[in-house]
Amino acid sequence: MKTLRLPKSPKVILGLGIVGFFILMTVIGPWLAPYSPSATNFAANLTPSTHHWLGTTSLGQDIFSQLLVGARATMVVALVAGLVATILSVTIGVAAGYLGGLPDDGLSLLSNVFLAIPGLPLLIVIDSYLPVNSRSNSFVIGLIISLTGWAWGARVLRAQTMSLRNRDFVEAARIIGEKRYRVMFSEIAPNLLPVLASSFLFTVLYSIGAYVTLAYIGLTSTAVWNWGTMLYWAQANNAPLSNEWYWFVPPGICIALVGTGLALVNFGIDEFINPRLRAAGLTSRQRRKLGLPRRVRLGFTPVLHAAKTPRVNASPAKLASQ
Amino acid sequence: MSEAATATAQLSARGLTRHYTTRVPGRFLHSKRVVRAVDDVSLDLFEGHVTAVVGESGSGKSVLARMLARIVTPTSGELILEGATVPVRSRRTLDYAAKVQLVLQDPYASINPVHRIRHSLERPLLIHGAKKDDVETLASAALSRVSLDPPERFLDRYPHELSGGQLQRVSIARALCVKPDVLLADEPISMLDVSVRLGILNLLRGLCDDEHLAILYITHDIASARYIADETIVMYAGQVVERSRGTALVDEPTHPYTQLLISSVPDPSDPTSQDPNRTAHATFAVADVGCRFAPRCPFAMDVCRKDDPPDFMVGEGHSSHCWLHASEPEAAVEVAPPRRRREGEPTTT
Amino acid sequence: MSADTFDIQAVSPPNARHAVHGLREDDVAAGVGGNEFVLEVNDFSVDYGVGANMVRAVNDVSLNLRRSKVLGVAGESGSGKSTLVYAMTRLLRAPGVISGGNVTLTFADREDEKAFTTLNLVTATEKELRKIRWTHVSVVLQSALSALDPVLRVGREFDEVLKTHRPDMTKAQRRQRAAELLTMVGLDDDRLSRFPHEISGGQRQRIMIALALALNPDLVIMDEPTTALDVVTQREIIGELSDLRSRFGFAMIFITHDLSLLVELADEIVVMYAGEIVEHAGAGELYEAPRHPYTLGLLNSFPPLHGPRRELTGIPGSPPDLSDLPAGCNFYPRCPFKMSRCEHEAPTLTAIDGSDRSVACWLHSPDSPVPVPVELSRTAHPTRDPVTSSEERP
Repeated sequence: MKTLRLPKSPKVILGLGIVGFFILMTVIGPWLAPYSPSATNFAANLTPSTHHWLGTTSLGQDIFSQLLVGARATMVVALVAGLVATILSVTIGVAAGYLGGLPDDGLSLLSNVFLAIPGLPLLIVIDSYLPVNSRSNSFVIGLIISLTGWAWGARVLRAQTMSLRNRDFVEAARIIGEKRYRVMFSEIAPNLLPVLASSFLFTVLYSIGAYVTLAYIGLTSTAVWNWGTMLYWAQANNAPLSNEWYWFVPPGICIALVGTGLALVNFGIDEFINPRLRAAGLTSRQRRKLGLPRRVRLGFTPVLHAAKTPRVNASPAKLASQ
Repeated sequence: MSEAATATAQLSARGLTRHYTTRVPGRFLHSKRVVRAVDDVSLDLFEGHVTAVVGESGSGKSVLARMLARIVTPTSGELILEGATVPVRSRRTLDYAAKVQLVLQDPYASINPVHRIRHSLERPLLIHGAKKDDVETLASAALSRVSLDPPERFLDRYPHELSGGQLQRVSIARALCVKPDVLLADEPISMLDVSVRLGILNLLRGLCDDEHLAILYITHDIASARYIADETIVMYAGQVVERSRGTALVDEPTHPYTQLLISSVPDPSDPTSQDPNRTAHATFAVADVGCRFAPRCPFAMDVCRKDDPPDFMVGEGHSSHCWLHASEPEAAVEVAPPRRRREGEPTTT
Repeated sequence: MSADTFDIQAVSPPNARHAVHGLREDDVAAGVGGNEFVLEVNDFSVDYGVGANMVRAVNDVSLNLRRSKVLGVAGESGSGKSTLVYAMTRLLRAPGVISGGNVTLTFADREDEKAFTTLNLVTATEKELRKIRWTHVSVVLQSALSALDPVLRVGREFDEVLKTHRPDMTKAQRRQRAAELLTMVGLDDDRLSRFPHEISGGQRQRIMIALALALNPDLVIMDEPTTALDVVTQREIIGELSDLRSRFGFAMIFITHDLSLLVELADEIVVMYAGEIVEHAGAGELYEAPRHPYTLGLLNSFPPLHGPRRELTGIPGSPPDLSDLPAGCNFYPRCPFKMSRCEHEAPTLTAIDGSDRSVACWLHSPDSPVPVPVELSRTAHPTRDPVTSSEERP
């Protein structure tokens, strides 16, 4: 996990690029925004122009500024929710998987309940109990979203832990006298990193969706700008009917892009985290150069058409030294 | 060094038994089936001695090791550590872990792949009271002790960067960090390349001689047992079928199973050793009543099918669990403690 | 002992010398055109990956296997023994690629016993490979549990094999043949209705052998078939194999790390190290008179069952890392007899002691600066009488 080698897969590079871009937007977006997103002193319903790259809303606010500023809240909430949910799922999932017996029964029951309850209605209910001023706090919103998002990860981690539980190195840790909680979180959990990372990414994805939905329904404070609130206002002012695409399409695209980026990164997670799994296989370009078939079928080992390398010990290291 | 027998064993087992109950699905009701993984096994581990337990898979040898390490609870029987009886129903204490350690079979699986070697050695040191400042020196010393020199080259590596033989040495070093009195080794070399096996065996023998550890060496390979053992025990279907001092039972096997085992080992130096008339259709049934080996035994008699035999003495320090030797005196529960082997001593008989 | 009276059959241990005086042996003796060898491998190389990260797993291997003979391939991890054999039959998985050489299989046609066809497996098409697979070449893998389909009863496995390769057989004929095959390996035919997990390891391996022999192939390849079994079962299975060989006369390649087993079972042994053959000799003489330091070290790695107990050292060091081989001889870092030449020049496999033995070691080259060490210049006995040989052992 230690020599960070760059992933070669184009999918992963693209995904990382997209996610990186939006994280950048989160950090410097508000500075880059040309105007304050709430300022209503512009002409209303302007189409995109050089003064207003994405036009203005019905209230005369600059859409582009809203997009840039809105990125921060959206991403922060999603990340916070993802983090808290992942911490919850690790704690509960690994404990359930390792301890077994009654603790496992109890924790599994808890996970199953949270899994079965529909997330959105639960969110709405919890949200409606929040004091009004908390609704503008991104962290609080992130927290309650995480409450509905941890269960699935916990289930997966529990299953993985159960299969790791019987491995020799876990037994060895017990034999030298390691305490139970250390076995769980210091020995087993690090082996679950690929699953964890994947689970984290999916939870972030889910959280964006949950947050945007909450905002769209109007359950979050409109004082905090985010992409969901933009959609809320757009919908409230009949933007789709008035063909004001520049109002609701950009936030929609941004949400979709972030989701896509996260999914693409997920593809490469395993390979990225564990260098040993790095594919020793051949890329299609290499294959074509050597005249090998595109897909290697089992039972028909390919034969290289390249010129045969010399007779004397031909490993590259040996050749180099001669 | 006096030749007087060391009377107190470091670790003794008396009548260790482990049964597993499994459910056999039936048409209406599930019936219970008892699997006797280990049945009434007694042995002693003395300091400076290697006791070898030889058996095939299913003989119960691994379960025995885990019971001695106290990570499996015996169904019945006693464990005596340094003269004091250990209550088998209680939880395993840190003190017990400090005295009795277990090395597992698969070196690649027994060390956590996500941590550096340093971590795997630090943990036992810290758990058993070493000071944080001393940890680095102690870990390096442990690696040197198992001939992984220079230690710095190995401390910061990951397990997948080491070979099987090196990893097994790390596994032994980890056990040594605890400073145990007893080292249990469950098939430590069977997953290693042939050319590195002897190195590990020599290491174990060296640890035994130099640091006076009591070592239990479990294996399915009787030749490797012969190489380092001071006492040899053969197990079949959970029972001890033959035991002797040194490797007397390899030279003069008295139990039909031991004889079968020895004659099955490929031995190019002795072309007459294979019996071309051997039963090609041997069954694997283990009898529930009487001697467990009776279904496969070419010498089975009526009494064998009815009663499980006791142990009979067939030589000095050599006992056999077989009715064929019924004319011999019955063996006491434990064989008399072996003489300490001195360097260069030829095979004891 | 003069080289030209050297008879490879005569030096193999009596218990491995089977009464293979059947039809094929006579054919061989009569030198019926071009079918003396069932398998010929020339300059065969296999790589994993290509380009900068390429690792050469098998480097320029050449060997021959005579009809009905047993060739043992011995080696440890990184030796390339499994890679060699799987690549030879084009069964190697990605990222393995064959990077050079030829593998020629010579087999008898079904219709005409006397007519032999030769096929280069490296250049063969998928169709040609399909035709010879299982009918002329079959494989027995190490773990029967992973080789047999766990959801199919054993009888179905046989049925599938027979149906695919002998479409002319009726269902009843297939069933009968399956029962025959099981009896042949010493099992009751009630095993046909069982699932693999319901059968013991030894019996599963016998089923694999029966499946491999279902179509009476010319060559059977066995990859560590008894490694996972206990020694008693191993002995029984080896016995079965010897029986079957004398009845059906197939040639066999037996891959294992257990050199002592090969000495008993094989006619010829090839010892591999770091992807190359380091020694090739008859089984008996390899055991009695090894010529390569690695072979010597390997033989000394097996603690003996009899005789006085003395300290053995095996071979110091670790098995080779194929991505980081030394510049000269691959075995140089671990060799107790290394010379300065060995560090920079890799030795090639050359014939010694007459034409049937070969070894890749500078110690045996005519211009070697030092005499051959005593341990590597023992003589093998031309005839093995079980009584006298133990007395005459050096």
